Amino acid sequence: MTGRETTKSRIIRGVLLTLVGLFFLFPIFWVFLMSFQTNQDILRMPPSLVFTPTLDNYVALISGKLETQAGTLEIAFMGNLLNSFILASCSVALSIVLAIPAAYAFARYKFRLGEDIAFTILSFRFAPPLLVLVPLLSYFQMLGLYNTYFGLIWVYQLITLPLILWITRGYFEDISEDIEHAHRIDGHGWLKTFLKVAVPLALPGIAAAALLAFIFAWNNFVFALILASADKQPVTVGALAFVTASGIQYGQIAAALILSIIPTLIFAIAAQRYLVEGLSLGAVKG
Amino acid sequence: MTYLSLDKVTKRFRRETVLDGVSLDVERGETVAIFGPSGGGKTVLLRLIAGVLDPDEGDIRIDGRSVIFDQPEERALGMAFQNFALYPHMTAFDNIASPLRALKQSEAEVRQGVQRVADLLQIDHVLTHLPKALSNGQKQRTSLARSLVRGPKLLLLDDPLRNVDAKLRYEMRIELPRLLKQTGATVLYVTQDYKEAMALGDRIAVLDDNRFAQIDTPANIYREPVSTKVARLLGDPTINLRQVRPAASAKGGSVELFGKTFPLHVKPVGAADCLVGIRPEHIKVSMTATENGLPVELDAVTPLNVRSVLLLKTPDGGELLASCSEAETARLPRGHRNVWIDLSPDQFLLFDAQTGERLGGAA
Amino acid sequence: MSNLVLDEVSKIYKVKREPDVLAVDAVDMTVNDGEIVGLLGSSGCGKTSTLRMIAGFEDVTSGEIRAGDRLLNDLAPAARNIAMAFEGYALYPPLRIRDNIAFGLLRDRRPRTEVDAKVKEIAHLLDIEGILERYPPTLSGGQQQRTSLARALARDADVHLLDEPMSQLEPQLRAILRARIKDYLIENKLTTIFVTHDQTEALALADRIAVMSDGKLMQYATGDDLKDRPANLYVASFIGEPPMNIFDTLSRSGGDGWRLQVQAPGDAATSDLALQLPVGTAADGELTDGRKLSLGIRPHQIRFGSFIELGPVLKGKIASNQWLGDQTHLGIETGGQLVIAVTDGTVDAPVDSDIEITLPLNALHLFDGDSGKALHHGLNKRDAAA
Repeated sequence: MTGRETTKSRIIRGVLLTLVGLFFLFPIFWVFLMSFQTNQDILRMPPSLVFTPTLDNYVALISGKLETQAGTLEIAFMGNLLNSFILASCSVALSIVLAIPAAYAFARYKFRLGEDIAFTILSFRFAPPLLVLVPLLSYFQMLGLYNTYFGLIWVYQLITLPLILWITRGYFEDISEDIEHAHRIDGHGWLKTFLKVAVPLALPGIAAAALLAFIFAWNNFVFALILASADKQPVTVGALAFVTASGIQYGQIAAALILSIIPTLIFAIAAQRYLVEGLSLGAVKG
Repeated sequence: MTYLSLDKVTKRFRRETVLDGVSLDVERGETVAIFGPSGGGKTVLLRLIAGVLDPDEGDIRIDGRSVIFDQPEERALGMAFQNFALYPHMTAFDNIASPLRALKQSEAEVRQGVQRVADLLQIDHVLTHLPKALSNGQKQRTSLARSLVRGPKLLLLDDPLRNVDAKLRYEMRIELPRLLKQTGATVLYVTQDYKEAMALGDRIAVLDDNRFAQIDTPANIYREPVSTKVARLLGDPTINLRQVRPAASAKGGSVELFGKTFPLHVKPVGAADCLVGIRPEHIKVSMTATENGLPVELDAVTPLNVRSVLLLKTPDGGELLASCSEAETARLPRGHRNVWIDLSPDQFLLFDAQTGERLGGAA
Repeated sequence: MSNLVLDEVSKIYKVKREPDVLAVDAVDMTVNDGEIVGLLGSSGCGKTSTLRMIAGFEDVTSGEIRAGDRLLNDLAPAARNIAMAFEGYALYPPLRIRDNIAFGLLRDRRPRTEVDAKVKEIAHLLDIEGILERYPPTLSGGQQQRTSLARALARDADVHLLDEPMSQLEPQLRAILRARIKDYLIENKLTTIFVTHDQTEALALADRIAVMSDGKLMQYATGDDLKDRPANLYVASFIGEPPMNIFDTLSRSGGDGWRLQVQAPGDAATSDLALQLPVGTAADGELTDGRKLSLGIRPHQIRFGSFIELGPVLKGKIASNQWLGDQTHLGIETGGQLVIAVTDGTVDAPVDSDIEITLPLNALHLFDGDSGKALHHGLNKRDAAA
């Protein structure tokens, strides 16, 4: 309880936090370094922190031309990046439209089989995706959904919908029912109460859920691997192109990774404002 | 003329009965305080009337018309909540304006309407603030303003003074009845504080154990409670209850208390065990011996504001609480001492020890 | 043990990216051996921080806390020999109520039979005999709070610290438990410091009350002194239920003494109300033309009827008449001001009827309008000056 003890505990806490931070951030740091190295530097044994940085990897990715010993390879990385963006953002947008009213219904109305339906939707997350994908592939080919954005976005709902639904449901449940009741008693219908009171108050939760869903969708690999061919592939699948006949292009993979982190990072920083802004603070007695 | 009528309203949550066939008629313009301990179903009752909960049985009529199938927004009433339930993302102005906007009034009308109640409640200087920037007192007034702004004929107030500080609560206790009479609204006022119920209610409906134990004027309930339960709910300090076995006589009856015999104003039924109730303010305490005084030991004096509460130990080892005006007990030294008490039997309340019901007619 | 002394004790909380919070501002007070002291104030006034510093749960930023000659500042809570009842009860959930109460006693290595007797005594005192074999999670808030109180009171500590000890008690039990606890504390000579926001509780239990506001000690005195001789406007309007009537006035000299012109609340407009002070009142020395003064009178000291020899008489209308069983509270509107009066028994005066009230001079309190500092208590005699 004395000053000495608090300083000691503060130091220990700082050391522990640094260790944990190092443990988690080291791979990203290493990849960041790799993205500025040539394949020779990367594969040198023993590895070294001293090298001549090069922007070749980024140039190759952005120009779409990959120079290898076997000749020039066309890579569609920027296209992949755009695909990732289209797929992830449209999936999240669609999920928000579908999941928020559903989450509100699950949170506020107790109806028959309500819990069962909610749980079924969550269970989509449990199923091994490959098990679903093989039969889905033949359906998609029959329906003409194979290798379409629409088809992929549809399948991505398996990832994003349950996530957004379950997170926002919790946020809706945390809003004092009295606030919504007050709005109804004021003379507003339920739809208006939902749009003008419930949704704005759950906004921090919706932002958090959308961010998480976006990251999950962005990082998805198998759906697009199986249900799309080259021109609709996201970065995760596109990175396979760096495994070439003449070897694995570690430098480009690293640069691709760094580039693909950037959009999620921007989204996360943008959403942070909503995450921390506890709008409901001061709503009821404080 | 009856404005609001509850007719055998029952509400259950799962298997638990929260309201068990309660009935109440409220006159137009009347203020009825719904008073009782927490968990008695008071808040549920208001929510049934507001329409945000549906009764399982019974009927609710407003101005003669059954409203149980009306949506809350169709009932045109005002309600203020214990936790204020302000919209945190809207300014105080928009909070208060909400009922007017629901009526699709023009912005000019809305502005005028909000200004009128804001002036009345003295919150016009905080209208641009968000709820989180308001003090509890201002929040409470904003929530009250929102419930009043439309001039509703029926006003439901759910313990609105619970979360404001003592001083403001006191001021509002004086101010609110005038305000409510001005609006002419019929009011149901839920509270856990018997003083608030007595101060604000034209009548008090005591809700205990999921039903109304007694519905009457404050004076009648305080002086003639139907049961020990009601008697214990009103009054601070709580009424003293002593188990006695009254003796019936030709003239009426008598009880023996602390070795003295007191005549009774009501005839005890049979000679069953009874509880005699003595309000603390009816015990006259003297510091010196009195002619008929009963010597007791004074164990503790707890001064309140205008009165002091005395803990007395009777010769049989029991405890009695007495409440005296400050002057009578002013500046007593700490520690035990002997005092004398006088009891007037015409102020005794007599209850059946088994059922807790009060015996006899008017006191 | 000897006296507990707080010497210029301050507490500053450092908050990242925000200005420091001065929670307790140079509080000076002494708690005598066996004394019952209440720390009273509204939320955020620093009373709980003060209690936690005494307990040792918070560091003292500056100043000293001493028990006699012993400096407590750097002593761990366990080394201070204190017993504490926490606002959140902090009962041990896996232990029966009996064992919760006995826990501290057994830790003090007291013999089992003595512990059992003590538990029995304290359980009787707090009306929890019936629940001794039960576990905390199955109890109501009131029962848990009584258990927490029992655990703290059973111990034989140098100081007993009680944080909001009665906030959750069942209203029907409050009066009797207060009285029994007070009796117990006095009989056992327990030095007690309790924190409360409820002035009724503070007045009922405490020998002396420390009224705090914004981290500052506003007044440290007996309940009677707080009521009769409040040090400032804050204490005057905080103590009392209903609180003291306060009028903001401007003094004006006149031929036959001073007139205190009452200012309407809010703006500077003058109301119709004026109070005439006869020549020779104690406050004469303080009065200068146009000085801002606040005049206070306790609601139960207002007399009904016209007693011109006692003090100024006001004519008004009854705005509310509320009988509360053992007392009546009246709201009286006079000259645009609402005056609150209290009396025992009933008053037979319907709303809107006319009434005359007298404000006895000896019950009037005079405060400086700017600083709020008390100038005089009772204005009738010169020698009654503060």
